Amino acid sequence: MPHKLIYLVSFALLVFSCTQDKKLPYLGKHETRVVDGKTDTVYHQIPPFKFLNQDSVWVSEKDMAGKIYIADFFFTSCPTICPKMKTQLVRLYERYADNDQIRILSHTIDPAFDRPYVLKKYANRLQVQAPRWNMVTGDKQAIYTLGEKSYMVTAQEDKNEVGGFVHSGAFILVDKQRHIRGIYDGTKEDEVNHLIEDLEILLKTN
Amino acid sequence: MKSFLLAALALSLFACQSKEEILHEQYVIEGRIQYENNCANCHQSNGQGLRNLYPAISKSTLSAPELARLIKQGRKSATGYMPANPKLQAIDIAEIITFMRHEWGKNEQTFSFDSTRIVLKGIN
Ligand code: HEC
Repeated sequence: MPHKLIYLVSFALLVFSCTQDKKLPYLGKHETRVVDGKTDTVYHQIPPFKFLNQDSVWVSEKDMAGKIYIADFFFTSCPTICPKMKTQLVRLYERYADNDQIRILSHTIDPAFDRPYVLKKYANRLQVQAPRWNMVTGDKQAIYTLGEKSYMVTAQEDKNEVGGFVHSGAFILVDKQRHIRGIYDGTKEDEVNHLIEDLEILLKTN
Repeated sequence: MKSFLLAALALSLFACQSKEEILHEQYVIEGRIQYENNCANCHQSNGQGLRNLYPAISKSTLSAPELARLIKQGRKSATGYMPANPKLQAIDIAEIITFMRHEWGKNEQTFSFDSTRIVLKGIN
């Protein structure tokens, strides 16, 4: 009964293709390098960095080694989109309270005002702690350059804007090798639900 | 014929509501929109706030005049910073307060445009 076999095989194929893992893209510029006659793809990677967190402790890329992290850009006195972003980040923080593989890294774009003690007060009010959620400050130009060149988001001073800065409300999903695997609108609950779906995929494969 | 019936139905519905009730309903509907646009990002749609960063306001004991001034002028204190809302007009603020009373205060009294204007006199 060969046709029965065909049914069986195609059914198996169908099931297999449905359960096959969705793969996350690598965002940013790819480079190809030829090493010993083999072509290698080099993905865009977040470069080394060093900032002070809310506890006045240095945080660098080394602290993110082996961690999947969500990065964002904000400032503590921001009245518009940051409260929405923080609402969503608190949701992520709670959801992954027991998962040591996951970190949140919030960069202030108003470092002149957001000194570590200001970030500390803010973190205390949100009842969150480093190292699971680092809020970092440092050299303004270094933060802006990292934001625009590496995380591919907008972060600029703008006197015409409420609060004095423009920035995107993006959440950037970064894998354990510091490659960007997704960018989401952190002000929208359903977009952050997508982030969670993708994060779950990363947790299984990364 | 159909449209006549519909009109009659609408009329009879309206007739059941007093003018004040209709006005109150409009205030609540508009106020909800204003609240969503100007307040909910911090205090959340349900008024519960966000941990200790943005206080829950569903149980706030502020009087309506105090609330009107707070919304217009904002507040900076040791415990937090709420930005001013220079763009909100007396009518917007009256609607927000009426909405908050309705939603969390079990209070169906309209806080009128005129009361708000008087409270906000001299404040820009
Ligand atoms: C950027 C965030 C933010 C926005 C937007 C905001 N608030 Fe607030 N609100 C705060 C903070 C922070 C406090 C606490 C201030 C303090 O500790 O003195 C506060 C305090 C309050 C209180 C006082 C609670 C009490 O009993 O003392 C009320 C009521 C209130 N807000 C209502 C509103 C309304 C209505 C709106 C919209 C027109 C609004 N807020 C918009 C952040 C915000």
